[in-house]
Amino acid sequence: MRVLRRALMALAVAGVIAGALRLRGSGGVPPQGGGWRELTGTDLPPT
Amino acid sequence: MVAEEHRALLVGAGAVGARAARQLVSLGPLGELFVGDLDTDLAATVAATIGEPVTAGAVEDFVPGPGDVAVLASAGEHRPLAERALERGAHVVSVSDRPGDVAALLDLDAEARERRCHVVVGAGFSPGLSCVLVARAATTFEWVDEVHVARIGTGGPACAHHHHDSLAGVVPEWWDGQWVRRRAGSGRQLCWFPDPVGGVDCYRAVTPDRLLLVDAVPGVRRVSIRVAANRRDRVTAHLPMLRRPHPEGAVGAVRVEVRGRRGAVRDEQVLGAVDRPALAAAAVCALAARWALDGRLRRAGAGGLAELVEPIPFLAALAERGVKAASFQGAAAAS
Repeated sequence: MRVLRRALMALAVAGVIAGALRLRGSGGVPPQGGGWRELTGTDLPPT
Repeated sequence: MVAEEHRALLVGAGAVGARAARQLVSLGPLGELFVGDLDTDLAATVAATIGEPVTAGAVEDFVPGPGDVAVLASAGEHRPLAERALERGAHVVSVSDRPGDVAALLDLDAEARERRCHVVVGAGFSPGLSCVLVARAATTFEWVDEVHVARIGTGGPACAHHHHDSLAGVVPEWWDGQWVRRRAGSGRQLCWFPDPVGGVDCYRAVTPDRLLLVDAVPGVRRVSIRVAANRRDRVTAHLPMLRRPHPEGAVGAVRVEVRGRRGAVRDEQVLGAVDRPALAAAAVCALAARWALDGRLRRAGAGGLAELVEPIPFLAALAERGVKAASFQGAAAAS
C-alpha cells in the first residue's frame, strides 16, 4: 500500500512539474499551404 | 575627405567581429581597418589573416577620428566606447543585443544629431536583420498594426549567454499601444521559419528589438519578440549556464510577421532568413558601417536599422553577400 501511495505521489508531482513547464499558449498549427520563396529580382533590384 | 581615406575601427575579434572585418575590407576601400580586442593575440591573428589595410591592437588603442566609423562587436558594454567615438566625431555601429546597452545607446540620439553622426544600434542578426525585414514588410502596407518577430540560434558565446539570460525575468511588451509586463519564457508559439529550420516553439524573451521597432513603425499597436527555446533552456534560465557555450552556434533563422491594412483590406506579410547568426550579423554590421561612411543612412542620430536604412537596397546588398531573405507565400501561417 505504501509503495502504491508513493508511486501515485510521484506521478502527481511529475504531472504538476510537466504542466508547469508546458505553460500556456495555443502552440499554433502548421501552415496549411504555400511555402517560402527567396526574395529576388523585382523584390530586390540590384544596387 | 573621401570615404576611402576614412578608417573603420572594429572592437571585438570574436565570431562576429572577425567576420565583420573581412566583410568591411571587401565592401570598399578604407584608409585603415583597426581591429581591437581584449585578447590582442586574437586581434593580431585576424589582422594577419586578412592583411592590408587591417591593423591590430588593444581596445585602449581605439581612437577614432572625425568621419571614421567605429564598429562595436565586443561582449562588454558599448555605451562607453560609443561615447568615445562620438566625442571625436565618428559614426558608431553596435551589434549589442543587451536591452540595457541598447537603451543607453539610443539615449545618445540628441548628441549624435548635434554632431551630425550616425549611431546604428542593434546592427546584428536580431535585432538587425530582423529590423530590416520589418521595414521591408512595412513598405507594403498603408498602415501597420502588428509586428511579431521570432528567432532561433545564437552567434558567439556572448550571444549564447544573452539567449540564456533572456528567458528569465519580465518582458515589457507593446500591446494595444501600451507597455504591459509579461513573464519571460511564457507565451509558447509554434513559429515557422524558412527551410531547413521549419517549425519551432518560441517564447517571450527579454530582447532589445522592441525598443527599436516601436519607434520605427509609426502607429504600431502590438510588437512581440520571441526566441526559440526548449524546456531545458526555460528551466535553467534562472541559473548560471550549466556548461560553457559553443564557440559559435549552428544555423539560425529569423522570421517577422507584419500585419496591417492595404486600403480596406487587413493583410499580413511574413518574411524570414536562414543563416549562421554570426555570419549574418557580421554582414549586417559591416554593411551598415559602409553605408555610414558613404552617407547613405537616412538621418543623423541614434536608431535601429528599421529607421536608418532603405530596406530594399540594404536587403539587395545583403543578398549579394549571401544573406538572403525569403517571403512566405500561400496560406497564412496560423501562429
